[in-house]
Amino acid sequence: MAKKLITTTAPGVYRIIGVDFNIGALKSAGKRYWLFVALLGIIITLGIVAWGTALANGGSVMAMRDNYPWGLWFTNYMYYVGLSAGGLIVYASVHLFGAEQFKPLSRLAVLQAGVLVMLALLGIITDMERPWRAVYMLLTPNGTSPFVYTGSAANIYMIICFVDLWVLITGFGGKKLAHRMTLIALPFAIYLHTTTAFVLSLNKSRELWNSAVMVPIFLTSATASGVALLLICAYIMQSLGVFKFASSMFRSLSTLLATVMIIDLFLLVVEILTVFWPTSSKPGHAIRFSHFFTGEYAWAFIPVLVLGFGAFALLAGRKTRHLPTVQITASIMYVVAVFFKRYSLMAMGFSTNTLGQYSSPYFPSLVEVLIALGLLAVGLMIMTLSAKVLPLQVPEDEHDEEPAALGAGVEPVVEAG
Amino acid sequence: MTRKNDSIPADATAPEGLTLSRRSFIEGLGATAGILAAGSVPAFLSATAGSATASEPTAEGDPLAPIIEEDNAVNYPGKPVKYADPAGDQKWAMVIDVKACIGCRRCVYACVKENNIGRNAGFTYIQVLEMEPGKVDLDHAKLDYAEGGDPDKWYLPVQCMQCAKPTCVYGCPVIATWKEPDGIVVIDYDKCIACRNCLVTCPYDARHFNWVEPEVPAAERNPRVPVEEKAGVVEKCTFCIQRTRNGQTTACVEACPVGARKFGDLNDPESEVSILLKTRRVWRLKEETGNEPMIWYVG
Repeated sequence: MAKKLITTTAPGVYRIIGVDFNIGALKSAGKRYWLFVALLGIIITLGIVAWGTALANGGSVMAMRDNYPWGLWFTNYMYYVGLSAGGLIVYASVHLFGAEQFKPLSRLAVLQAGVLVMLALLGIITDMERPWRAVYMLLTPNGTSPFVYTGSAANIYMIICFVDLWVLITGFGGKKLAHRMTLIALPFAIYLHTTTAFVLSLNKSRELWNSAVMVPIFLTSATASGVALLLICAYIMQSLGVFKFASSMFRSLSTLLATVMIIDLFLLVVEILTVFWPTSSKPGHAIRFSHFFTGEYAWAFIPVLVLGFGAFALLAGRKTRHLPTVQITASIMYVVAVFFKRYSLMAMGFSTNTLGQYSSPYFPSLVEVLIALGLLAVGLMIMTLSAKVLPLQVPEDEHDEEPAALGAGVEPVVEAG
Repeated sequence: MTRKNDSIPADATAPEGLTLSRRSFIEGLGATAGILAAGSVPAFLSATAGSATASEPTAEGDPLAPIIEEDNAVNYPGKPVKYADPAGDQKWAMVIDVKACIGCRRCVYACVKENNIGRNAGFTYIQVLEMEPGKVDLDHAKLDYAEGGDPDKWYLPVQCMQCAKPTCVYGCPVIATWKEPDGIVVIDYDKCIACRNCLVTCPYDARHFNWVEPEVPAAERNPRVPVEEKAGVVEKCTFCIQRTRNGQTTACVEACPVGARKFGDLNDPESEVSILLKTRRVWRLKEETGNEPMIWYVG
């Protein structure tokens, strides 16, 4: 309707390409809000300084070496890409399977998915010593490299997420277009996570990675951790008064979570059995895996099993599983477990190199940690500002659930990240 | 002592040979080439050899034809290697006698000097592994063994195998590394994006990333090999491309005090490597990966 690019619909509200940006809401934001934004700003600045140091000094300031060619950035890449799945799967189930109870979450879920994939991609860029050479990925891509597929998929997926968010907010194209976008986005989310797993599993040189079960494990871990993160976010926002959700939504979410969790754990146990069973055990596999049970890597892998099964046990209890405390605890346990799992998965390929030489666990250097924290702060900053400025709540007339009231807008996903 | 050493590679050869011939039988028709396979299905191999590469200067019935045939350029962009002559019509290969190797690491040191490997880099192109008697067991091999070597152990030098099916080249997302027509796998230092995926895909740990800027004392610098360009990119053994394309042999072959290394052209039926491959029982490291390495071991 409006020919002008920016129009004002209300005092402090600017409409750009059909989206109402409520800049005025920032003026009314409280002290706590700005304190948090300032804190994020400091962390981002530190991250930029650390990135500058890395660009100036090259790999010498990293803890990665030939035995660990990939480090924290790659763990985070897998982790963020995985987390973004959950959001999208919940959102997709609204449109494809008519799971109306998740509808209030749809905009938040899509925004979360887009921001997380963006963080994953920024992690790659900040790891490169000469980021401008990334242009060769477009100029001379090599069709036999899994990197090309996961890289392009992540970029396209990010664009799909943000376009999707725009469609959801503006209502452009109506329900039909939203439905079609989901039909594109859901398979693409699966494609993205499959290609990410391929970066590990399509390597005959690395014994423990070269397993087809890697792909389903990636998908189930991604879904479980993503749904868990969404559940945590939803609780935080509810307690801050940003949203109000029906308790039936939390019950559905935690049922979904428990189901995916147990599939995820089942696949892991099957893989462990294959590695150690006498008739299938290969010395290279068994030697490598044993470091993760009794060796120097046990701190990273044992928590995966303990937290994973612990979280499932919490949600399996019939009398207690409807309690918010139980649901939140189980979700946090699983989000942490999946991070350890990503680290362990990476370390399984690297702890013993291709010539059988063992190296002690990799711990990121200060520069690597600061870059990673800076990126996380970028993500939180976007979410914090969006919670104020963007119309994330689904309007009342679009669903039958409790009305969503944008309250005194405090940071939504702070603790969740 | 010698008897003990003798028996080891013989032990090692048996399983390798079995795997190889069984696999090539199952896969049917010599997708995997090797000495045993070449011996068992010569008729088929010469048939395909004729149709696929008529221009190859290999003689009819050459038992090495299937190996040479597979060793083709991969992802070759056709641009010249900056510091070496263009590829000739050779197919370079190396044979290492593990019975003779005494683990003195002279090849390692010669290679570091010849190829301007940063003295602070923390890696060398050649890695000599100290192996336990009785098996080819990398998981119990020792890389940092005491200088001089132990007569009760045997030694396995490993470097870039210039594979006929190089997983590193397949894995590079931007075609910054390729296989030249003479079989040498090279890296474009001006294009490498430092993703290190080739370090991950290589089964021989032959690729190394310059995490620090390589430092080479000015007096020891080899003017024929670049230094500064290697900061922040991946490098590896190139069969001393700057020497071998000028008719010289590699630095490691020159440095070996016991003559355990032989380097040469498989297209030349009279070259040492051709004769060794045809007359000796040879084996290759990690044959099961199917990378078709171009370095053979003999014991």
